[in-house]
Amino acid sequence: MTLVAAPRAPRRRGGTAVTWLLARVGGLIIVLWAAATLTFIALRLIPGDPAEAVLGGPGSQASEEALAAARAEYGLDQPVLVQYLMTLARYVRLDFGTSYALRQDVTSVIAEQLTNTLVLACLSLALAWILALAVAVWSAQSGRIASALGSALEVVAVALPHFWLATSLVLLFSTTLGWLPPLSGRTAAGLVLPVITLAIPLAGFLGQVMRESLLNALSSPFALAAQMRGETASGVVWRHALRHAALPAIGLSGWAFGSLISGAVVVETVFARPGLGRTLLSAVQSRDIPLVSGIVLVVALAYSLVTVATDILERLADPRLAQEATV
Amino acid sequence: MSRSATSLALATLTVSALMLTACSSASTESGGSSDPVVGGTLTYASGDAEPSCLDPHVGGNYPQALVSTQYLEALVSLDKDGAVIPWLASSWAEAEDGLSWEFTLRDDVTFTDGTPFDAAAVKTNIEHVLDPATGSSTGYLAVGKVASVDVVSDTVVRLNLSSPDSALLESLSQPWVAIQSPTAIARGKDVNCESPVGTGPFIVTAWDRQNSVTLERNDNYVSPPADVPDGDYPYLDAIEWRFVPDAATRYAALASGDVDVIDNAQPDAIVSAEQDDSIAELDSPRPGASNRIEFNSDTGPFADVRVREAFIRSAGVDDAVSSLYFGTAERSYSALSSVEPLGTSAPELFEYDADAAAALLDEAGWTTIDSEGYRTKDGERLTVNFPISTNQSIPAEQSVFEQIQATTKEVGFEVVLEPLDLSSWYEVLGANEYDLVSAPYTKVGPDVLRILFESSGTIPAPSGYFANHAKVTIPELDALLISASEISDPDERARLYSEAQQIILEGYYILPLYDQQNHYLYQNDVKGLRTIPTVSTPTFTEAWLDR
Repeated sequence: MTLVAAPRAPRRRGGTAVTWLLARVGGLIIVLWAAATLTFIALRLIPGDPAEAVLGGPGSQASEEALAAARAEYGLDQPVLVQYLMTLARYVRLDFGTSYALRQDVTSVIAEQLTNTLVLACLSLALAWILALAVAVWSAQSGRIASALGSALEVVAVALPHFWLATSLVLLFSTTLGWLPPLSGRTAAGLVLPVITLAIPLAGFLGQVMRESLLNALSSPFALAAQMRGETASGVVWRHALRHAALPAIGLSGWAFGSLISGAVVVETVFARPGLGRTLLSAVQSRDIPLVSGIVLVVALAYSLVTVATDILERLADPRLAQEATV
Repeated sequence: MSRSATSLALATLTVSALMLTACSSASTESGGSSDPVVGGTLTYASGDAEPSCLDPHVGGNYPQALVSTQYLEALVSLDKDGAVIPWLASSWAEAEDGLSWEFTLRDDVTFTDGTPFDAAAVKTNIEHVLDPATGSSTGYLAVGKVASVDVVSDTVVRLNLSSPDSALLESLSQPWVAIQSPTAIARGKDVNCESPVGTGPFIVTAWDRQNSVTLERNDNYVSPPADVPDGDYPYLDAIEWRFVPDAATRYAALASGDVDVIDNAQPDAIVSAEQDDSIAELDSPRPGASNRIEFNSDTGPFADVRVREAFIRSAGVDDAVSSLYFGTAERSYSALSSVEPLGTSAPELFEYDADAAAALLDEAGWTTIDSEGYRTKDGERLTVNFPISTNQSIPAEQSVFEQIQATTKEVGFEVVLEPLDLSSWYEVLGANEYDLVSAPYTKVGPDVLRILFESSGTIPAPSGYFANHAKVTIPELDALLISASEISDPDERARLYSEAQQIILEGYYILPLYDQQNHYLYQNDVKGLRTIPTVSTPTFTEAWLDR
């Protein structure tokens, strides 16, 4: 109700920023609703009875009576539409239920593992940005061969699968050189290899986009004008062109964050690092519906928040966007 | 998916990497002091799934058995020859009619929460396993014949059975019916799952989910099983029990010295370890059934015994096993694990003979061959469906199946391999949509044959779970297996099981591959490590660090 009434008031004051923010919040709610709905449907399409998860996982020897009792306890005997509406109603109350397999509150399971995965994802994103920027600036400035080399590096980096990269890094830095621990656990040293594993393919992707727009910016009239004013070559890059080059990469960071969370499933498993990715994997395998749904919602929320943050950053980097009316 | 690729990458890369490190790693052989060093923390990396409950009464799987061996103890154990020996029970006697057993218990044992270990505690435990609310499946099967428990005195407990059970002692030796503090059980399932309390050498003090379980020394420990020599156990201060699902990482962590012991060592890691002076191996096959391929004799082409034999004769198992396991797994020709004293081996029934296989298929009416080289009968191709549980079959085993697919193709079988996750796999089995399947089964003693081959085992639970995948329903075999499970005379029992195995092997219901593999690798300055001969879980009671 308030959502419908709210946008009218600020419009009179012409507050485009407020309208923009409200549209974002509305979008966020739609994303969460869609994520909840898709998860609900998907988990009922895959084989396996969720009531089995309550009674010891796949292949349990639970009797029909025990299953019936479990279904009644968790409302799994209700018509699917009723279950769906009940689930949504619980989400609105911020109640994510109890994990079937772990017999723990879903909120507390997620809270226990969320920080670890967020730290991993954020550091990976930061490192990917640094690597991508470094390669893009270097190769855009240093002539045709450097440009070709940078481009090749990026293509290779993008194509590297996480599990291969992870195993190779372990062999190099742990087994052969003995510099870093192969097991991540909860230690700071254990973060290095997982972060590098996630950052390299992403850096390749961001780098491709950045170098492209950096080259465009460098050959555009404003760069030439700056050069004519006596700006040095690196001054042109750092003070003028980079802002343009960064724009598309900022826009992609929301997507990148999502891909990091899915990469975390592999990386957390290989490096034996506690986190949301590993929790999700085992929850899917045991058909632990409340836990899978809870994690999907949290990831969708994080994804949406990062997208909003990148939108804000884009508007800061490019004032033209702030002037445009929101759709 | 990623796991097989990871292992392959490792197989090729490790060998070279290790050759480098082998040169630099100095030999850690110390002066050969034989006096155990007291203290220190040992780090164990487990490749088994992290249990969702540390109380092995709940559910009852191997991951729970592995960790609970460190803090829980059973009434009896087995020695290395498979004989039943005292543990928490010092003696026992079966009644004349076989319908009750009396166990005399040790009177000097206390649970780590201070509760005394006595007959009432045993009664509480067995009732806990039998209570449907506990949700026990493995433990429930083990004590399924117990109708009631009487506390005769503080140190004598009587189990009353619904029918005689020759496997009772073997069943009670398993970690899934180990004895826990009744005070701890009374706290309820959720708390007891987090911090079960036993009489074992270590105590669960913390559980950091997805990372590790911390086990600390039980300073008042007095009750190792009877085959352990006298000593001031345990020597270690603590065990850090970590969960490391990736096989390559697990081995890398061992090779780099970050962990002291790993389980589920894969063939490539075992071969690499042989070149590393600082790493030792413990090969301890699990008891119960061998790893085998089971033929669905109920429906499809394998309802015909000639087609089953033809498949066996044309499957090049020997070459596949020796090349894919690098010689770390020995070929089996038995329904039972090689650690089972009553197992029968029949190599002559499983010899490779492609000509004989072709003749058998001709005889069975699969006479025509289609354009792709597969046999057909009445226009239908000889296609057999083989769902594979990727949770249970390691990458090397899946490769063995691929080799079998390739070799049986030469005589005209089309094997369709279908890798599935556990829930989907059980669903396919429950729907009877398989011709071949391979599933491990761990249990102490030959009574596992009754579970796997008695006709009542063909009826699936609602989850699709059932144990008799070969769908063997032979009244004569049923009778043999049931009398064997009730008879107390050991010679007669051995004879009945031998006859039963003959029927199973000669009926070509299974294609044995190898024992259920169970390899541990450890730093060679870890001393006194062994596995308990019940379900081959490692024990650190006698372990110490020579560093």
